[in-house]
Amino acid sequence: MVFSSLPFLFFYLMAVLAVYKLSPLKIRNLILLLVSLFFYGWGEPVYIFIMLLSIAVDYTHGRLVERWRENDRLARRAVASSVICNLAILFFFKYWDFFAVNIHALTGIPLPVLGLPLPIGISFYTFQTMSYTIDVYRRDAPVQKNVVTFGAYVTLFPQLIAGPIVQYKSVAEQLEGRREDLEKFVSGIQRFTVGLAKKVLLANAIGELWDTSIAAQDLTVAGAWLGLLGFAFQLYFDFSGYSDMAIGLGRMLGFEFLENFRYPYISRSVVEFWRRWHISLTTWFREYVYFPLGGNRVSRIKWVRNILAVWLLTGIWHGAGWNFLLWGLYYALWMLAERLFLGRWLEKLPGALRHVYTMLVVLVGWALFAVEGLDQLAAFLGTLFGGGQLWAAVDGYHLRSYLPLLAILTAASTPLMKNRWDRLGERARSVLTPVLVLAALVLCTASLVDASYNPFLYFRF
Amino acid sequence: MTKTSQRVTAVLFCVFLAGFGLLHIVLPDRTFSPVENRNLRQLPAFTWSALADGSYTAALETYLADQFPLRDGWMGLKTRYEYLLGKREFHGVYLCGDRLISRLEDDSRSEENLACVRALTGKTDIPVYLGLIPTAAEIWRDRLPEGVDSFDQAAYLKRARETGAVWTDIAGALAAHGDEAVFYRTDHHWTSLGAYYGYAALMEAMGEEPVPLGTARRVSEDFFGTLYSSSGVHWLQPDSIERYVDGAGVTVVSDGETHGLYVDSFLAEKDQYASFMGGNAPLYIMRNESAAANRKLLVVRDSYSDSLAPFLSQSFSEVHLLDLRYYRTPVAQYAEENDVDMIFVCYSVENFIKDTDAALLAQ
Repeated sequence: MVFSSLPFLFFYLMAVLAVYKLSPLKIRNLILLLVSLFFYGWGEPVYIFIMLLSIAVDYTHGRLVERWRENDRLARRAVASSVICNLAILFFFKYWDFFAVNIHALTGIPLPVLGLPLPIGISFYTFQTMSYTIDVYRRDAPVQKNVVTFGAYVTLFPQLIAGPIVQYKSVAEQLEGRREDLEKFVSGIQRFTVGLAKKVLLANAIGELWDTSIAAQDLTVAGAWLGLLGFAFQLYFDFSGYSDMAIGLGRMLGFEFLENFRYPYISRSVVEFWRRWHISLTTWFREYVYFPLGGNRVSRIKWVRNILAVWLLTGIWHGAGWNFLLWGLYYALWMLAERLFLGRWLEKLPGALRHVYTMLVVLVGWALFAVEGLDQLAAFLGTLFGGGQLWAAVDGYHLRSYLPLLAILTAASTPLMKNRWDRLGERARSVLTPVLVLAALVLCTASLVDASYNPFLYFRF
Repeated sequence: MTKTSQRVTAVLFCVFLAGFGLLHIVLPDRTFSPVENRNLRQLPAFTWSALADGSYTAALETYLADQFPLRDGWMGLKTRYEYLLGKREFHGVYLCGDRLISRLEDDSRSEENLACVRALTGKTDIPVYLGLIPTAAEIWRDRLPEGVDSFDQAAYLKRARETGAVWTDIAGALAAHGDEAVFYRTDHHWTSLGAYYGYAALMEAMGEEPVPLGTARRVSEDFFGTLYSSSGVHWLQPDSIERYVDGAGVTVVSDGETHGLYVDSFLAEKDQYASFMGGNAPLYIMRNESAAANRKLLVVRDSYSDSLAPFLSQSFSEVHLLDLRYYRTPVAQYAEENDVDMIFVCYSVENFIKDTDAALLAQ
């Protein structure tokens, strides 16, 4: 099930909230586990078993780490075993076909291509459960002895299928007991509604621009940039909208999740961009890959290796395809360049130029990300950098059709509106909040009832 | 935020979502949507196998959207929202001022189907006429939003002249009257007036004088056509439907039943265009003993010929209107068996370039 759908909004959410709020505190984790499994099974019921397997594997490993606490060698083995199990599940469902096809192409060894549908959110929850065993081993979090509580953490429906990637240590205490009151519930409603509107009213509305561009027979240079801009906005509002909805739902249930986005498109360097984009993923890689490898407190060569490792992994995490690896490599190179020399030069430039530079790097990055298949990618990049007619009448039509929306998206990508809102007096906010929530719900319902276009981009990951 | 505001927000949120959820359950389901002109999804039957492969939940989601309370109102609201944001294309339909024009894209069958017409002319000695009706997107190209891509129907029609069939220049006739209401504003079909110019083009191709147009009789002022349905643009004025031929003495036989040239009962329904002849049918045989000439015409056709038929009835004593989508028979053979004097292949460009049954022309 996805949040921005009629069954979720009008039936599932209300039923879950009613049951959850009416049940005694003691069984709320059990309720969460059950409704989350239902949520997960909605699209592909058979994959519930992977979920259960995942819970069983990591619960057991956590207990093993705790039991072997005194014997570091054994405890480390338990952690390794947990990581291997999680990666094996992920590899099997997400990467096997890619691996098999490329091994076959390289060596001629025929490997079966399975064509299994990707279990929704598998990249997110395998990363979460891996973090658990590691956190327990590192004493960053206590072991969870209650399998229901642990199951509730793994399956927690708000962030189950598209993040944020909630590290166990950040919710360990909340799983045992959480504050729930009206204020938190309403702030959850606000946040959820903002996310819903971002996804349904903005991301979906701009999504068609990219689809038309990429399908165009004779794409012009202007058309390629316009389409790419559309994709950049779609991805951001889609994904950050989803994170907003997750955070909002979490609050309605009493949880506080960490932020996942902080206005990435206002960044003035690539390094800054990645501090603002999909924060839970970069944090994960930093804490569980980059630091263990030594981070930057190692020789220059090893540091370069560490950067490459983190970014190639980040790339392939997003999808089993060469373009994603290329995309990861692309960011590794920009990161290295900015840390080694580019950063010093940039500091001397005016802020506006640094912003333009960052957005150009990010936009070209999205081309690597969005265009699958290396031939198509090469063709698209060729067009992007001047290989083709500069401008055609149809670009003017698209620009006129999307101009008001692009203006709204640009404004909404900055903290402008948020700051304006925060400066309003309490009275104004008290009056406006219910009005805006209702207006957003009405418009989103209208869009969803006429739902011809409602993909979730981060579902593939 | 004040406590009151928090309470109001929480109540609004829950009442809105739970309220529409309950309404959905309580309100009876509809089988047909007159506004969208299509059947709505009904509650899917539960089976374990459908649940396991995910098709049950998928069907349930479609059902929930199709049967959502006040569905028509929601759809109109969405379209208005998009319109305010600058969009002028809605589900493949352009909003051009006070009218809707459907977008047309080339289809892989466009050339293949011309070859089928060519094959037909080789199959039979009966004269074959070909008339392709351009859509409003061609005749009113200048009314489309500036800069939109549109399939080059003029270039296609130029190629269509080379099939060996006698060419009927409908595009030329319509273009000459482009400032008149030759297409409906909310429907993709041509109006009776447009159809008359099509008829005149056929008579000209035959070297004859068309029967004069006559005076219009307005039979409907509240016609909302297919484009109104598919676009979701619900704020346009309705179309009117005119008739120029009164149909006295004309009989139409379809599937053993005989009726007149018009079926007025359709004027009370959503699909008022079907009041010409009675809408889609495999075969209509139309007879008019007081026609100008005693001869038999076979029209291989789509729905555009519904409003063309009244004019044909004035110049042909017997007209067979054959729809290959429903009446799957080789055209040459049908023409020989029924001893027709001429064959008129008459399609809209829109239907012709994607027609999958044109092979029957060649057999």
